[in-house]
Formats: sequence, structure tokens, C-alpha cells
Amino acid sequence: MKTIPLEAFLVVSMVLFGLGVIGIAARRNLITILMSLELALNAVNIALVGADYYLGSVHGQIFALFIIALAATEAAVGLGIIIAIFRLKRVESSDEIRELRG
Amino acid sequence: MGSVLIFGLFSFLAIASGIGIILLRNPIYVVVALLSSLIAVAGIFFVAGAELVGALQLLIYAVAIAVFYIVVISAVPWEKAKKTESHYRFEGTISLPIVLLLYAEMILVFALGVKASPEGKFRAFIEKLGNTEVVGAILFSKYFLAFEVVSLVLLIGMIGAVLIGRKESQTYEDDTP
Repeated sequence: MKTIPLEAFLVVSMVLFGLGVIGIAARRNLITILMSLELALNAVNIALVGADYYLGSVHGQIFALFIIALAATEAAVGLGIIIAIFRLKRVESSDEIRELRG
Repeated sequence: MGSVLIFGLFSFLAIASGIGIILLRNPIYVVVALLSSLIAVAGIFFVAGAELVGALQLLIYAVAIAVFYIVVISAVPWEKAKKTESHYRFEGTISLPIVLLLYAEMILVFALGVKASPEGKFRAFIEKLGNTEVVGAILFSKYFLAFEVVSLVLLIGMIGAVLIGRKESQTYEDDTP
């Protein structure tokens, strides 16, 4: 039943997580930063589901479900904040937000 | 053998789309790359036998969240973003060796031969009942409190998003014209 090794899942997960981290650090646009964050969350899900496939368990899948639900919340709140920032300050790049007090 | 091939195909698609997410300039293209990556990850879930998580990945991520991003991108005028630079070149160059260090650490761990211990306690149940039923049974018994807390978090997130995103000038001190 176990034809795919666990290491393959972990390698894919790690590579995608690294790409997400690079995206968060190097992206200038606020929305693309959030999208890189979604990529990193997906990478964690791959690791959890791959460990489940290896161990023959379902607990990792339950945590993947929780992560998907929390990612939906994070996207809603994050995009709301971005729209509020855009409406108040007319900026869409992360280096233009310099003041704490609007 | 076939599952390894399909896994490799989906992994390649996911990683190629991930590279597209961090390299493409136009936000709309980035959303399309994100959508492709999410669908490939759902394919990986299906290969791994997690049908419920794969289906929810397609339903929630690839439909709801991706459409949400597209709606926000089309609601906000991004003319300035196309004129200016889309990346921090210096910070990206700095973060690259750190991530490569992470990859080197992974290679080191696998070279040292770290293995997880196979247990396989639930495999008989999964084969007998099917993945979705087992996930539901454990989710609603052992993780029931966490499930309820997640529903509270979703409610609070919804209220917060509505409060942040509404149009009311009394809430914020709006100095901009």
C-alpha cells in the first residue's frame, strides 16, 4: 500500500514552504504577500497528510482541516485589512506603510 | 508505480506554480499560479488517500479563497503597482541563502537516516470504513472541543472582517482627501 516514501512528501512540503518564505520576504505587493502565506500553509498540509499516509492514521488530516478553516479566516481578515489600508492611505506596497498612527 | 508517477506529476506542477507565485509580476497572474498550485496540492492529497481533505481543499481553497482574492484584486485599482517594482531585490537575495540552508538541513536529516516509526493502528479501520467516515468519527469525538473553538474563531474572524472592511468615516481618522 505504501508505494510513495514519506521522504517524498516531506521534500515537496519543504520546497513549497521555502518558496512561500521567499515570497513573503521578497514580494512588495500586500496581496501577493498573503498569497505566499497561503502557499506556506499548504506546504504544512502536505507534510501532515503525507505523515498520515505513512503512519496509516487520520489525525494529521484532522489538523489539515483545522488549518484550512483557519486559512479561510486569515484570508478574510487579511484582505479586509488590506482594503482598509488602501481606502485610508491609497498605498498597496508594503514599504509605503511607515506610520503607526494613521 | 502509477501512484508514484501521478505524485511526481502533481509535485512538479505544485513546485512550478510556487515558483510562478514568487516570480510573476502581475497580481492576476499570481492568483492564477496560486490556483494551479492549490489544485496540484489537492491532487497530492488524493494520491495520499485523503479524499475528504482533498475535496475540502478544492472546495474551500481553490473555489472560495481564490475567487475571494480575484474579487479583491479587481475591486482595488492597482495601476500604481504595475508601474513600480514588484519585488524587493535586496531582501529576496538575502532570504534565498537562508531557505537554501533550510533545504541543506533537510538533506542532512535524511542523510543521517532519521525515520518515523510506522504504526498502522488505524489502517484496518480506514480500509473497512473509508477515509471520510474515520475522519468524521475522530473529529467529532476526540477533537470535538477544537472543532467548536474553530467555529468560534470563524465567527470572530467574520465579525472582524466586516468591522475592518466597512465604509464608515467615524471609525477611522481619515486625513486623506
